[in-house]
Amino acid sequence: MNQCFWLENGLKNKSCMANHRVGETGLTDSGPSSHHHHHIPYAVLHGMNVPASFIHQEGSAFDFGELEEAIVLQGVKIRNDEAQAPLFTTGRPAATLEMFPSWPMRFQQIEIGSSKSGGESTDSGSAVNTLSSKTENQLEPESPVSKKASSSDHQAFDQKPMQQQLLEMASDISRTGTSQNQSAAKPPQEKRRGSTSEKQLDAKTLRRLAQNREAARKSRLRKKAYVQQLESSRIKLTQLEQDLQRARSEGLFLGGCAGAVGNISSGAATFDMEYARWLEDDQRHMLELRTGLQAQLSDSDLRTIVDSYISHYDEIFRLKGMAAKSDIFHLITGMWTTPAERCFLWMGGFRPSELIKMLISQLEPLTEQQVIGIYRLQHSSQQAEEALTQGHEQLQQSLIDTIAGGPVFDGMQQMAVALGKLANLEGFVRQADNLRQQTLHQLPRILTTRQAARCFLMIGEYYARLRALSSVWISRPRETLISDDHSCQTTTDLQMVQPSQNHFSNF
Amino acid sequence: MHCQTGSWGSYMPTSRNTVGDPLERIERLASENAVVIFSISSCCMCHAIKRLFCGMGVNPTVYELDEDPRGKDMEKALMRLLGTSPAVPVVFIGGKLVGAMDRVMASHINGTLVPLLKEAGALWL
Repeated sequence: MNQCFWLENGLKNKSCMANHRVGETGLTDSGPSSHHHHHIPYAVLHGMNVPASFIHQEGSAFDFGELEEAIVLQGVKIRNDEAQAPLFTTGRPAATLEMFPSWPMRFQQIEIGSSKSGGESTDSGSAVNTLSSKTENQLEPESPVSKKASSSDHQAFDQKPMQQQLLEMASDISRTGTSQNQSAAKPPQEKRRGSTSEKQLDAKTLRRLAQNREAARKSRLRKKAYVQQLESSRIKLTQLEQDLQRARSEGLFLGGCAGAVGNISSGAATFDMEYARWLEDDQRHMLELRTGLQAQLSDSDLRTIVDSYISHYDEIFRLKGMAAKSDIFHLITGMWTTPAERCFLWMGGFRPSELIKMLISQLEPLTEQQVIGIYRLQHSSQQAEEALTQGHEQLQQSLIDTIAGGPVFDGMQQMAVALGKLANLEGFVRQADNLRQQTLHQLPRILTTRQAARCFLMIGEYYARLRALSSVWISRPRETLISDDHSCQTTTDLQMVQPSQNHFSNF
Repeated sequence: MHCQTGSWGSYMPTSRNTVGDPLERIERLASENAVVIFSISSCCMCHAIKRLFCGMGVNPTVYELDEDPRGKDMEKALMRLLGTSPAVPVVFIGGKLVGAMDRVMASHINGTLVPLLKEAGALWL
């Protein structure tokens, strides 16, 4: 008969989601349970010009031509045997639709059952319809995906299960006649003529039923799309929350996103951005130093590069000075730096004597004069640091006394005094930065130009590694989502930290 | 607070001269000792600068302006002299103005402070 025709066309129609008028609806099995009528092949409902419009309305990336060929080649014999029913229900459509457990399995059985009530042609038609609807169900979840992806992978995936399903049916179902085989090869146009007579039967009811099926199908699609959207949004939200939590706990601020995490003042946010830009500049300067040293530039050229690096540091001290006015705590707590840097923080920045100590071990053989100069520099910076630290301690003690208040806490009065004392913090950070700046300026006075260039390169690289250390530390693998037995977590952490330690060997 | 030697340099009793240019007084006081610091007792930066000199083994002469009847005027004069506020701490070495904390630290780092102290007789090798 014309089962294959229905199948082919049904499949083609399934691909055209936008194809509302044409009878995909006729092949859906989602009709209301009250529908007990026999299926009328959709083509019957919609007239003669359906096949042509099928082809033109092929909107999906799914290659139905291929499928059609596969079906024809496999010689699917469609029958209206009720024994088919379990088969129809076993090969369930794609997983996405399975998430709606309320999908009534009995629909298909009803339809198959109702197919019996019609004539021979209807029977085969309805059988085909259920088959087609099966494949439609299979296709339905895929086609939005395949539409978007429009990759051959999707197509292959789509085709396979259907082909398997068809094969299954072909092998299990007994043949009703060879005429069915032959009809598969017939052009669609011919087959339609034979069934136009059925059009007159309950046209209105049929139309209504078709519309119901169409509406139900559309609503299913919408629901599916919405749920998919929700799922992906939920995953995204979880990931964002994790990132936020991690960033907060680590206190890692990147210039660009400052202000988005936690309560950060505008002054602090501004400084963070400026600092991020300064770090980029720092990389360029270091590159300049490195290439300048390797290229064996003349002393005067190298001197220019060294001077520009000093100016680069002058710039950050200037920016810090401005930031100190607007948000001293941001600076002094080191929230603008990375965790590892913060560990060594002194008065809102690096400790100059520590830096000199680091450099001494790496500078090439120095003259006696240079050795004296460097050690003098280290010594005087230590004295200055000590003085500032003690002054800062006195400020802290004075603040404690004010806030504690003694026997009577005067409220507003004491708050005002405390505020005044807090304001002195800015002065200490400024002096500390001044000390850092002076130390850096002094280095090229003691060293040769070449030594100074190497020295500044070492400083730049040192802090870059410290920052990198922070990054590695933060991104080290840890147990996050699944919280097992705590002891297991610790073990895993240790095991996982081992490989990351190899990073340090490069330094 | 004490230096290693015990007390702050020497606290000079302020003269009873109530009439006179505060700046003149400052200059006079500054020239009377090798290292002179004008300070305010509650100021923490002043404490820091005192610790710095003490740490170097210098005994500075400290004038606490909040304990001086003419302290307010002197403070204003110092502010004019320095061009910035706060007026204190301010350091004179060998009668000559060195400056506030930032200048003192800069001169210590660049190695000019110690020779200056030695020259003024405040520091011996």
